[in-house]
Amino acid sequence: MITMKKMLFVLLMLAIAFALAACGGSDEESGNENAGSGEQVSIDIFQGKVEFKDQFEDLVAQYQEENPDVSISVKTVGGGTDYDPVLKTEFNSGEAPDIFNIGGPQGVEDYREYLTDLSDTKAADAALDGTLSTVKDGEEILGLPFNQEGYGLIYNKRIFEEAGINPDDLLTYEDLEKAVQTLDGMKEELGIDSVFAFPGKEGWVIGDHAANAYLSPEFDQDVMKAYQAETLAFERADEFKRFIDLQADYSVGPVLSLDYSQQVEEYFSLERVAMIQQGNWVYPSIQQMDEEVAQNIGIIPIPVEGHEGSIPVGVPNYWAVNNQGTDEEIQAAKDFLDWMYTSEAGKTAVLEDFKFIPAYEGYDTDKIVDPLSKEVYEYSEAGNTIGWIFSGYPTMWGQDALGSNIQRYLGDEATFEEAIDAAIAEWESARQ
Amino acid sequence: MRNRDLSFWLFLSPVLLALALVVIVPLLYGTFYSFTDWDGLRATRFIGFENYSRLIHDTAFLNSLWFTIKFSVVTVILLNFFGLSLALIVTRKLKSANLLRTVFFMPNLIGGLILGFIWQFIFISVFSDIGEALGIAGLQGWLSTTTTGFWGLVILTVWQMAGYIMIIYIAYLQNIPNELIEAAKIDGANSFQRFKNITFPLVAPAFTVSMFLTLSTSFKMYDQNLSLTNGGPFESTQMVAMEIVKTAFSSNEMAYGQAKAVVFFLIVAIISLTQVYYNKKREVDM
Repeated sequence: MITMKKMLFVLLMLAIAFALAACGGSDEESGNENAGSGEQVSIDIFQGKVEFKDQFEDLVAQYQEENPDVSISVKTVGGGTDYDPVLKTEFNSGEAPDIFNIGGPQGVEDYREYLTDLSDTKAADAALDGTLSTVKDGEEILGLPFNQEGYGLIYNKRIFEEAGINPDDLLTYEDLEKAVQTLDGMKEELGIDSVFAFPGKEGWVIGDHAANAYLSPEFDQDVMKAYQAETLAFERADEFKRFIDLQADYSVGPVLSLDYSQQVEEYFSLERVAMIQQGNWVYPSIQQMDEEVAQNIGIIPIPVEGHEGSIPVGVPNYWAVNNQGTDEEIQAAKDFLDWMYTSEAGKTAVLEDFKFIPAYEGYDTDKIVDPLSKEVYEYSEAGNTIGWIFSGYPTMWGQDALGSNIQRYLGDEATFEEAIDAAIAEWESARQ
Repeated sequence: MRNRDLSFWLFLSPVLLALALVVIVPLLYGTFYSFTDWDGLRATRFIGFENYSRLIHDTAFLNSLWFTIKFSVVTVILLNFFGLSLALIVTRKLKSANLLRTVFFMPNLIGGLILGFIWQFIFISVFSDIGEALGIAGLQGWLSTTTTGFWGLVILTVWQMAGYIMIIYIAYLQNIPNELIEAAKIDGANSFQRFKNITFPLVAPAFTVSMFLTLSTSFKMYDQNLSLTNGGPFESTQMVAMEIVKTAFSSNEMAYGQAKAVVFFLIVAIISLTQVYYNKKREVDM
């Protein structure tokens, strides 16, 4: 009995201690806030790109040192799919951040009533042509681009050299097919498993990226046209089919269980395949696996008739400023974004620490270090681009509707025509 | 016995409060929202049963429901079979009984997500390597077809949960009075007859509990599904819970997803309660 009582007593003490600690914690927090709101402006940033969280926080710290009257707190929730629900929760719970991310036309529509016009910022002036079209509403500019990204077929220069293939010649589909066959015939000498690693498991690689190259011409490369389209003709379905077939036929198998990390890390970084369809964002992963391989890679364009030698380049994300804050908060938010993209210190960080391909003018692009970003930037600067329209798809259409229907085709559960028809039907029903 | 005075409610209140806040209030809220066009940010109008009538024709939802039912039937049978078998093994007088109990229970201590990734590696890489070495084609390409995805999920779930179900059976097996078994032995019953006529009826209450647990967990499974197959290939191994999450959070149709969740809740509740009711009736009292 005595031990029982003792146990209870100890438990009780623990509970009290815990409760006290919890109260203490919250006291401290509110104390801080009070001190902050005196003459200072405090803004909250809620962003979704985990890859540059640390670098971004360093930059924020630097900004706060230069501007002691502004205090910024950064919250990062990452990985694309998780960000949107959490952002919604923040808005619902009345803790709406001052600066947040929107993805494209759908984001503009969802959050329209909260978005501040940013057309008076320096960054908006400096933004490159075409990067703002998705976030424009009349004269108002509702978001500022993060960066540019581009994708195509990333290839291993050493393997291409040994096979005697000049990547600059691979412009049309026929050229590419011939090169693939050459590589396939020399698999043993080159020491590769296959030519491609095609991640059939990832609906977005098929439905968003690969399909974008063939759907973009249909909408004049204009994401807003895609966003408003009630149906799609899929005029280039045949071209899309042969491109998918080429990758699937010459890929390490089975493609349907092959995922992104296997594609990039296991197969491409370990030089077990010669090419993968991916974008400049894979560079850090490859670099972590093998520095030498990472320095020896390049991008060849996805062959699209009439658009040979162009690669799809676009803006994946935009910064938006919440208009529900006080005037001081809104101004502070704008100032920070301006500083990040147009001041010298900000520019350096964007290029060298974030490793971004800038979506703004006035950058010293010689400083772009990784070979993929450099190539994407060159394509972009020369105007050899195909517009990204997949942010104008119905929500999740690329991944869930088109992606999974093509997977059905790859798994011999449907013909290609059936797959495309089913995907078109889903587009139409989403746009009713 | 029941003196429901102040202290009774006082002691009960923390649990009641927690239950109300995290289960009952959200359930009511959710049901309410399922009748609106809520998109996570705002609900503008009532649309009555529109979400529900749409759901009847939603092939993605119906496919995932059918897949979940198939999966649940197979796992419930296998789980109870393996759970009881393991329990019978470790209640024998073996020297290693305690060690075995720990080992069998161990998988249950690993989180579902991590298990999913571990088994993904086993199915995709280890299986195909073994298949290559031994020339068994059936071991290659796991998780890239619907059938292998299905069995992959079944194997993972059974491996993870069998130990847990075993513990429940052990508890009941050890409660069987030795006199009964001895009496049966003297009457000349062989070991199979003893199992069929004495052990089996007396662990019936354990069936009620285990069936309930296995049914509801296999119906509601999400994390293993997410990490092992993520619904692939082509959404054919997508279970209901995952389909609902996708509708609500990826396709952004919160109210519609909520309607699916309400229907799903009703299905799971009805099945589990019917099962408990019937099993209870069949239990024998000593």
